[in-house]
Formats: sequence, structure tokens, C-alpha cells
Amino acid sequence: MTKNYDISTIPGLIRTENVELDEMQEMCMEMTHAVYPHDKIYGQFCSIEEYIDCPPEVVFDYLADTKNLGEWTYSTRDMKKTDCHNTMVFNDAIGGITDCYCKTIANKDAMTVDYHCAWDQGDHLWMIYLIRVIPAQLVFNKPGSVVLWTNCHHPFYDHNPFPEKAPKEREGWVGDAWNMFYAGHTIEMQNLKKILEFRYKRDICELQGKKAKS
Amino acid sequence: MKPVSLISVASYLPEKIVDNDFFKNESGLKTHSMFRGTKLRHHIGENETCTDMATIALTRLAEKININLQHDVDILMTNVTIPDIPFVGPGASIVGALKLKPKYVYDLQNGGCVSFIFMMELARAIINSTDAKNAVICNFQTAAGRILALPDNRKLPQSAIPGDGCGVAFLAADDSSPIEAIVTRTHGEYANDMRPIAPDGRKWWEPGVTAFNIDFNKSRLAAIVGRGNKLVPEVLNQAMTMANVTHKDIGALVTNQPNKFFLRNWRESVLIPEEKQVHTFDEHGNLFGAAIPICFERGIDTGVIKPGEKILLGGFSHAGDYTASAVIHWQKKARPSPA
Repeated sequence: MTKNYDISTIPGLIRTENVELDEMQEMCMEMTHAVYPHDKIYGQFCSIEEYIDCPPEVVFDYLADTKNLGEWTYSTRDMKKTDCHNTMVFNDAIGGITDCYCKTIANKDAMTVDYHCAWDQGDHLWMIYLIRVIPAQLVFNKPGSVVLWTNCHHPFYDHNPFPEKAPKEREGWVGDAWNMFYAGHTIEMQNLKKILEFRYKRDICELQGKKAKS
Repeated sequence: MKPVSLISVASYLPEKIVDNDFFKNESGLKTHSMFRGTKLRHHIGENETCTDMATIALTRLAEKININLQHDVDILMTNVTIPDIPFVGPGASIVGALKLKPKYVYDLQNGGCVSFIFMMELARAIINSTDAKNAVICNFQTAAGRILALPDNRKLPQSAIPGDGCGVAFLAADDSSPIEAIVTRTHGEYANDMRPIAPDGRKWWEPGVTAFNIDFNKSRLAAIVGRGNKLVPEVLNQAMTMANVTHKDIGALVTNQPNKFFLRNWRESVLIPEEKQVHTFDEHGNLFGAAIPICFERGIDTGVIKPGEKILLGGFSHAGDYTASAVIHWQKKARPSPA
């Protein structure tokens, strides 16, 4: 990129140099509604977030272990290894008998855990669950974790690109439920919260019990 | 509880009409967001009083429904933004000017932009607990001509938003056009976010040379927008629930009209289509408490408010200190003939 590129030549930028505060405020008022249609918020992106009363390292490690999807998700079960390194396959009960392939890419430094998934085949993992764990101490000034979780509306949600790979008896497609992703993911996030908080509380109690005995 | 009906509304708008140039020329600004909302507004005349406005509006009201003001007003209630004199509202003066004989007279200082609904609620309570059979309620907005048109203030673009006017209504103890629900709420935590301010910092009763203005604590703009977006939809929905109706049953929506954004947001929040919303923001500006009765009359005149339909009223005042909503079953049936 050119070092001294003149940013003012980019059309449509709203910066204090070219838009008065008063006009900026009006734009903000214009954009601020009391209510929003579901599609406006969850049409292209489905982002949810939750606070979990459990240390961020514990939350990260739990999420980074692919087999735990068998616990906190609603319907992915019976994990098996595949021939492909790092890619696992579950059965996703939402599709009846449906293979759901999953490769977990976790970055401990960034505390991100991304599940690259797809139904029916493991060659093109297009259904990506982007998750980030944040220490709640930083953002809420209290112990625990904040979990952000986003899915993007990949065009394959609308059209199954590999219909020939689908089980013959199956009628539905994972993308048919896009409009319920907010609800479904919120329910699963609550599962995650309940499991982690339950175990963390139990571990603390056990630890305190041991200390008391010793 | 005895049913109480909203029988009719009438209005008066001061003769003096002011366009945006009045403020643009003084402000030295060619464009400003405040000039993009309203195009015109009325300003109360220099020597015009609330009593003058009431005399015209109440005479119109009496003609519409064929009542004799001298005999047929049991309760008189008023709310004014900037009253003719400090200390006291215009109730007694209106009684004197129109030779009314009400048993109960109240000048309310609270409720602001939703004081029409607060007054309906109080009138209903008085009718239900005394021998009063009807009430006249009057809203006066006078701050535009009296405060915002002052030379110091008209330089400020936000002075373009308010407009003056008077809206009056007649309520009676029958079920011809009943009030089916009223919700009023007071939010004390927001009571101090609107203040009179003068550039020299003096109290409003202290002498000085600079004009007072009404300050809506600009640093809290986002917070006030958030309040309006949260509190008003809550009371609108609460009133509909109380009246056992949903948005599908609502024939028209009338709120106060602080700006075009709240008008849009409140309508969207209760899923009411734009054509069923009555407002006069472009030509009258922010009418404060007078907006609801003035717009109600406009809705009747333009046919948006139709006999037999449920009309949803609502809004909030100042910086969020009061919220209110009501459902009226407008002209549900013919009025019973007087006994």
C-alpha cells in the first residue's frame, strides 16, 4: 500500500474531518430503531454472546477439544476419527442419520476456537463456527469468561452444493434452519454455560474440601 | 368503574407561522440536521395568552358537539409549557373569560408531552368518584414563541423544532367512545435531565440580560434516545394488553412528536403501518403536550381515525420522566341523549 495514501479520496468515509458532529448524530439517530426485524440482525450474520462464570483458560480448553461437542451441542454425537488428519465426524441428529464433519482450529494465544464443518462430506468444510473467549476481567471487571460466537450466512446454507452426498431418505438441509440459528445457538450456548459453571463450581468445592481436610 | 369517553377534540394554532429561514438566517448555518425535520411551525403572538387560545379552541369544541360551555363543563384541566404568569396555570382565567361553572379546576404541571393522557386519567378518576359527569382538558404549548423565538435562542438550530398550539378535548361519563385502557408511569431517575439554562448560569428566577433556553443535556442524547426507544414501546404494549387488543386491532396511532425518529421508532415498535400514524411534525414541529389532541383532530379530519376503530395514544415527556399510553374505542356507538 502506498505510504502516503490520501484517505480523503475514498468516497463515503464518515470522519470528523468531513462530517460535523451534528450530522453524525443525525445519522446515528436515523440508524437507531426501537425494534429491528429478525432478518435485519440475523440475516447475514448470526452473532451471539454469553458470560460464563468459569476461567477463560478452562473455557478455551473445553471448546478446543472437539469431542466435547458431543456434550454441549444439541445434536452432534458419536464422534469418530476420519482418514483426514484432524477432521472428525459426528452424527448430527438434526439431519436424522447425517454425517457432520468437523475440524477444530484453535489458537491459544488469541483464545479463538473455530469449528470448520460440513454435512455429508469432509472435503469442503464451509460451515464455520467462529468462537472467541475473552477474560471477563478485561471487559466486565469480574472473573469468568465472555464467549462470542458468530456464523456467516454462506451461500451453501441456501443450496446444498453436494446433493449427491446426502442420505437418500433425508428431506431437510442444514441451511433450512438458518432463521432459527439464533435460537438454536443460544440454547447450545446455555448448555455450554451450564456444563462449565457446574463443573467449575464442583471443582472449587472439591478443592476447598481437600484443603479443609489437609 | 364507570366508562368515560373521549367525545371530541378541537384545536387552535396561533396565526403566526414561521419557516426555517427564521432560524437559518440567525444561525448563519445553511444546513443543519434540525432544519431537515420540520418545515413550518406556529409561534404564539407576543400578546397572546393561553386564555386567548383556549377561548378559540373551546368555542370550536362546543360548536362541534353542540354543548353549552357555561353549563356543560363540570371539570376543567389544563397543562401549559410556559404559562402566562408564574405561580399559576390558566384554569381560573379560562373560567372567567368563558364564564364556565366547573366544580373542579386543576392546572397540572406534570406529564409534559403526555399530559393529555395524564389528564384523561385524572378526569376519569374524578368522574368516578364525584357527581361530575364530564371534563374539558386543555393542552397549551407556548415555549416556541415565548422562549425559542427570542433573539439569543433563535440562533440555535434546535430552536427550529418546537411549535406552538392548543389542543382541547371533551370527556363524558358514557360508553359511546370509551377510554379502554390508560397506562401512566413516572420515572423519577430521569427528572433532572431537562433544565432551564442561561448562558450566564443564573437561576431562572434571577434577573439578567441573556435569554433562558431549555437544555436537554446533549451529552445524554444517546441515553435519552435509548429511553424513548425502550419506555414508550413498553407502555404502548401495556395499554394494548390492558385493552385486550393487538396491533392488528389498532386503527390509528397518535403520539407526541418530538422528532421524526421517535415517530418512526414508536410506530415500528408496535407494527403499525405508516398510513395509520397521525402526526403533523412537518407543519407544526414539536407541539409538546398539545400534539396528541391536535393530531387526534387531524386524524379525524383526514379520515385516518375512523368511527368504530381502536386508537392507540402514547409517548413520553421531557427527557423521559413520564410515559403514558391509552386505547380509545373511538365512536363505538351513538352518544346517549342527555337525560
